[in-house]
Amino acid sequence: MKSTLFNDAAQTIDLSSVREFKENGGKVVGHTCSFLPVEIFYAAGMLPVRLRGINTESLNIGDAYYGPFVCTFPKALLQQAGTGAYDFIDGAIITSGCDSMRRLDECWRKMGQDISGTLPSWFYYFDVPNKPDGVAFEWYESRVRKLIRDVEKKFKISISDEDLRKAIRDQNVIRKAVWDLGLLRCEVPTFITGTEAFEALIARTVLPRDLYAEELTRLIDDVKARKDPVSNTKKRLFLAGSICDDLELVRQIEEAGAVVVGETVCYGQRNTCAQVEVEGDPVSALADHYLSGSICPRMFGYYPLRLNTLVDRIKQTRAQGVIMQNIRFCDLHGSENGLLERDLEKLGIPSLRIEKEYGALSEKGRLRMRFDAFLEQLDTQD
Amino acid sequence: MSVVAGCDVGSLATKAVIMDKRRIVASVIIRSGPRPAESAQKAMDQVLSESGLLSGDISYCVGTGYGREKIPFVNESLSEISCHGKGAMFLVPSTRSVIDIGGQDCKVIKLDAKGNLVKFITNDKCASGTGRFLDVMAKVMNIPVSELGDLSLTSREPITLASMCTVWAQADVIKNINARRPAQDICAGINTAMANRVSMLANAMSLENDICMTGGVAKNKGVVHALARLMGKRIKDIRQVDPQLVGAVGAALFAHEKAGKTKEARS
Repeated sequence: MKSTLFNDAAQTIDLSSVREFKENGGKVVGHTCSFLPVEIFYAAGMLPVRLRGINTESLNIGDAYYGPFVCTFPKALLQQAGTGAYDFIDGAIITSGCDSMRRLDECWRKMGQDISGTLPSWFYYFDVPNKPDGVAFEWYESRVRKLIRDVEKKFKISISDEDLRKAIRDQNVIRKAVWDLGLLRCEVPTFITGTEAFEALIARTVLPRDLYAEELTRLIDDVKARKDPVSNTKKRLFLAGSICDDLELVRQIEEAGAVVVGETVCYGQRNTCAQVEVEGDPVSALADHYLSGSICPRMFGYYPLRLNTLVDRIKQTRAQGVIMQNIRFCDLHGSENGLLERDLEKLGIPSLRIEKEYGALSEKGRLRMRFDAFLEQLDTQD
Repeated sequence: MSVVAGCDVGSLATKAVIMDKRRIVASVIIRSGPRPAESAQKAMDQVLSESGLLSGDISYCVGTGYGREKIPFVNESLSEISCHGKGAMFLVPSTRSVIDIGGQDCKVIKLDAKGNLVKFITNDKCASGTGRFLDVMAKVMNIPVSELGDLSLTSREPITLASMCTVWAQADVIKNINARRPAQDICAGINTAMANRVSMLANAMSLENDICMTGGVAKNKGVVHALARLMGKRIKDIRQVDPQLVGAVGAALFAHEKAGKTKEARS
């Protein structure tokens, strides 16, 4: 019988494996951004889980702290925190992924004053520079070192370099496995749907590491042994753009008659899963990896690198078209998608831009019409 | 049998067209009900009755529109974007760009010389720039929506709507009615607001000539004129059929092609 571990992890906030981790005395820290070196928490014996806004049924709390012209992702996170969905976390780290995410720090703190019990006992702001070069490296590295000291102090533990190296090695194993899964998706025909792969990738951000690594290995072996491909005729699409942990979006694209073969969205397989250096100073190695390895458009002046990475991944996955989505009012991806659309068009790569709210697909009908039309457009280009 | 059909279930209107050898035999436009399947059946029954044909005479039927997945009798369904492109190119062969304003959305479509879909964009935001916007405004004005266009053409001093948001624009229209502004000036303001919204979408696509407008709003001359003025481009009229039928015509043309392929495959 097929395991539902990844599917549950992708669609549920309150996970039994996380509860179990806590019941065994473990501490859980929620975080909001891919620029946070999660190895620090694994080295501390803690569990970092990426905070998500899935399954929100209302934004009555989020709307109270944010204005109307703000991306719904931080609002949904705040809503979940405000309604008790994250009562199980022992701490939260907010990162300046963008201005709206930076404001989550202020909004959540204020909500903590207004709604009793919604602010975790450890609430931490982790600043990240907007450039991956020059003085930014020293700044970021110093922030990482400070974070380690603050974690040690708050949770009364000690994190040694060897603890960090072990955590790096463990995460490198997962990075390699995620890369291997990505390679399986590149095969023509592919033997894994984008929905199944995406749920495995989302699960990476919330499940305890060892459990995840074991299940991912099992999935990869299973896919390798499969005899029936997903389809020989379905169009191969790539998903890019704003933060996305919405399994339904990928499912809807695939229901229209495509297979999603890769993605660069946050929560997905964003980049090339490069390994973190295990020799030398582990903090420097982490700082180098996290700051320079990202293709997030929050980083100033690296558009050509991001375009090239996207084009390389499109070619590698043999995608025939790209769906670039952005959450409404997401300035970073909204403007970046415009540039990407222009440049992909020049390279003869068809693209479809969509703008949507974060979370439940309230615009399902209109999105489906666009996915259908895009696939029909690709049909005429065969 | 070369008789085919196209059925376009939109949010406000359902359209059905029967074609024989790429010639339109019959067509109907009815108001959409809450259930797409029932609206589609009603439109098909009417168009069959108008043509004197039976459902068994239809060799292939393509469904389109927001309710396309719910039509039980179609052989296949296709997006309205492809169907409007196909229909417009058939009716005006020089078409390279199509602006389709339907009841609940607006689409701008670019075609190549063969009529293939090259690129499209749709409104993401809200009801502004859709037929629903005009419906709401006509109701506030207490006039049939079909009169908004002609009435606006006699305006000398169009009002300006401060917001394109349907709710705020409605409040603005009520304010102008109470200020006893002439109905034609208010209508012209409504049409221009609509055209403004759509022109933003159209300008984002750098449209090539010839441009056609399809969908129910294409019948509103006030919007068509305002849009042409705002884009600085001519919009070609579709004269052969009601522009609201173009999606269904496109669907029937696809049905014609598919029926031909099915026949080839069988022989």
